[in-house]
Amino acid sequence: MAKATTSIRRQLILMVATVLIVINAVALWSAHLYANRAAKESYDRLLYGSALQMAENITMLDSQVFIDLPVSAFETLALSTSDRAFYAMMNGQYQVLTGYKDLPDIPFTQLLQQSNEKEKFIPIYYEAIYRGERVRFVALGKRLLEADSVNDVFIIVGQTLDARRAAATEISQMALQFVTLFFFITLFLLLFVIWRVLQPLQVIKQAITERSPQELSPLEANVPSEIAPLLKSINYFMAQLDNTLSRLKRFTAEAAHQIRTPLAGLNSQAQNAIDETDDVLRQKQLQHILESSNLLTNTVNQLLNRATLTHRYQSHPFSPVLLDHVIKDTCRELVVWALERQVEIAYVGDIQVTINGDEFALKQMLQNIIENAIKYSPKGGMVEVALMLRKELPDTPIVLQIRDQGVGVPDQDKEHIFEYFYRSPDNFTSGSGIGLSIAKEVAEHHDARFHLKDNQPTGLIVEVIFPQRKGLSYEH
Amino acid sequence: MSTKVVLGLVLWLVSRMVLALDTPQSTQSIFPSVNSHTKSQGAVLSVYGAINHQAIAPLFKAYQDRYPEVTIHYTEANTRYLYEQFLSRPNSRPDVMLSPAMDLQFKLANDGYALAYDSPELSNVPKDSHWRNELFGFTYEPIVTAINTDILAGEALPQSREQLLNLIRSKNHLLDDKIGLFDIQQSGLGYLAWAYDGQQSRSYGRLLEAFGTHQARLYTDTSAMLTALLKGQIFIAYNLVGAYAYQWSQQYPWIKTIMPTDYTSIIMRTAFIPRDARQPTLAKRFIDLLLSPEGQHILANQSAITPISTKAIGPYSREELSKLPHGIFRPIPLGLELLIQTDDAKKQLIYQEWDNAMQPVPHNASSVSLP
Repeated sequence: MAKATTSIRRQLILMVATVLIVINAVALWSAHLYANRAAKESYDRLLYGSALQMAENITMLDSQVFIDLPVSAFETLALSTSDRAFYAMMNGQYQVLTGYKDLPDIPFTQLLQQSNEKEKFIPIYYEAIYRGERVRFVALGKRLLEADSVNDVFIIVGQTLDARRAAATEISQMALQFVTLFFFITLFLLLFVIWRVLQPLQVIKQAITERSPQELSPLEANVPSEIAPLLKSINYFMAQLDNTLSRLKRFTAEAAHQIRTPLAGLNSQAQNAIDETDDVLRQKQLQHILESSNLLTNTVNQLLNRATLTHRYQSHPFSPVLLDHVIKDTCRELVVWALERQVEIAYVGDIQVTINGDEFALKQMLQNIIENAIKYSPKGGMVEVALMLRKELPDTPIVLQIRDQGVGVPDQDKEHIFEYFYRSPDNFTSGSGIGLSIAKEVAEHHDARFHLKDNQPTGLIVEVIFPQRKGLSYEH
Repeated sequence: MSTKVVLGLVLWLVSRMVLALDTPQSTQSIFPSVNSHTKSQGAVLSVYGAINHQAIAPLFKAYQDRYPEVTIHYTEANTRYLYEQFLSRPNSRPDVMLSPAMDLQFKLANDGYALAYDSPELSNVPKDSHWRNELFGFTYEPIVTAINTDILAGEALPQSREQLLNLIRSKNHLLDDKIGLFDIQQSGLGYLAWAYDGQQSRSYGRLLEAFGTHQARLYTDTSAMLTALLKGQIFIAYNLVGAYAYQWSQQYPWIKTIMPTDYTSIIMRTAFIPRDARQPTLAKRFIDLLLSPEGQHILANQSAITPISTKAIGPYSREELSKLPHGIFRPIPLGLELLIQTDDAKKQLIYQEWDNAMQPVPHNASSVSLP
């Protein structure tokens, strides 16, 4: 049973939430920075505006600096309702003409520089602690011209930071509200999208759950192109399953038939033998019963073998197998049985090959092929078992050939010979019709290719080609 | 209980003596603690103010009803004097400063001398009646003109500044030396009201000219001016605080008080707790009382001063005030605009203008001494 890894839905939600949180955090942070800057700039402008209004009302009158500060300058400052404000007007000698006399950190050097350069005065902003509070100041110079004298005066205006902070906080708060709203709306939409995207999987699941176990027709569901391959795979798998199942059904029916027919034969022969009065004939009939029983035993054995092999495929891992040894052993075991039928077995090959495989299964495969070859060999015939390396082919595959000199198999039967219980219509030899099928299964289980060829002048060649693989060794 | 009150009253009367603080410009009264048991070790709340003793006493009484163990020292003086004393004698600062000179009070608060206090009673008063949580406006008083009707001789009572000018013009030499003004260089409130006129009205220059030509007398406190008006030493008193003028005109029917119909300046008396108050807790309680419905009610009834709260009911409530003939109410904003009134250069300009107007007749240039 496959273990479910973390749910896609949860992963998606987690990722989406993480991305959203990161984006929103960045947005909030930038909003905060922006808020601070915006508040700073707008209140700096107010401060500057106030300083300008004060500057405008400083004039020269009879070589005296004349100051008449306008209310509007203070009304501008009063726009920040809860901030203290401080100001000072100074002459070129930095004597305070009016206002606060102890303002801190006045940028005299910069003012002096601007004053000396005779350029246009630009405002200088700075912050300082004054009377226990942080104060933002603007320092501005003004050039007073009268006849032939030039006098510079300096205006310092400062204000505490409450209004700026409040404005920045307000903007930040608004941003926070907006971002929060945005966050939840996006999250909600994305959750909906995720649900929507994963919906086809639910549809497929639903479709499969609702089916009866027997129904293996392809699923008909409209799914997005990304999910289509999955559906295709499922449908392919179901088609395979359907195929396998029908094969199994056929096999079961055929197997039952194959067993019942000899049993019926046995039955009737045994009945005949009972009724037979002639001892010689009865002897002959009993002989037939024995043969039929052997045949039946053989068939049942093959079926059991197949069952065993099927089980082994799933339970036994591959291990290194000395292929040439297995072949030689099998030939040796069968040589007596062959000689009884006046058939010789010849092993051709001088290579030693080790492959990864299942020794028991390989032996079954060899037995089945060689037995089959012997069975179809004429008396005095020869079965050749050859093991070689095809060096001329890429990857130099290992080739096993079992060649007989029997009647061979016509081309139209070659495709069917591996089907269970297939017997060539003009084949009168006893046999279960299952041996070669098993052999082919074993070969395929070892990733080997299984071929049938015609022998010259007559006969069949069964060829099993093992691919060369890593971890597989051979020597001469 | 009643004996205690009587005893307290007697003690108060006994202790109501004039104590020289520095000069005779201020008077000190002591309101001893009502609770005789703790009399000796009771705490003392020191209040400096430019409010009449009679007007402030009901508030002190209410305060001592709440906190009987507290003795109150009240020092009454002219607004500018209070301001200067505050700055020059940092060791004898009060626990509460009360003054109608909004600019001076504001300057002290702006310069960081006031203690921040979030009074729970602030919800009772309008939002623009306090600055930060440091300076608390608690009254709403028109700046009025009082006229001794003897001068009218059948003519209509002037209602606006324009009509006042016409009256002065028509009476001409009858009014020489017969117009009373605050000495703006001595009285903070006088300066505030005058400087505010300068911002508001085009008749300002002509008024100043008229006052100059008729050698206006200069006073430093309201009661002196009202006494002079009562005695006929002067016939017109310009820019008085409404509360006192109304009281006098109720008492003496030949004194009429008018709120000029062109515009009527409104001032707020403000209170703050100095940062270095010795009894900040007692002071905070006093601010709470001042702004509370109870305190506002006392102002509108016993103190005869219009309170800032619109909800207070009484003969001197804002509602009653607005029933009297008046012009546009122009409250002097309690904010940074007040800083200009304290600007030295500006002050010099206004003084100069004032002196220039007042000087043509040298023999009457200096202020008349108090009666």
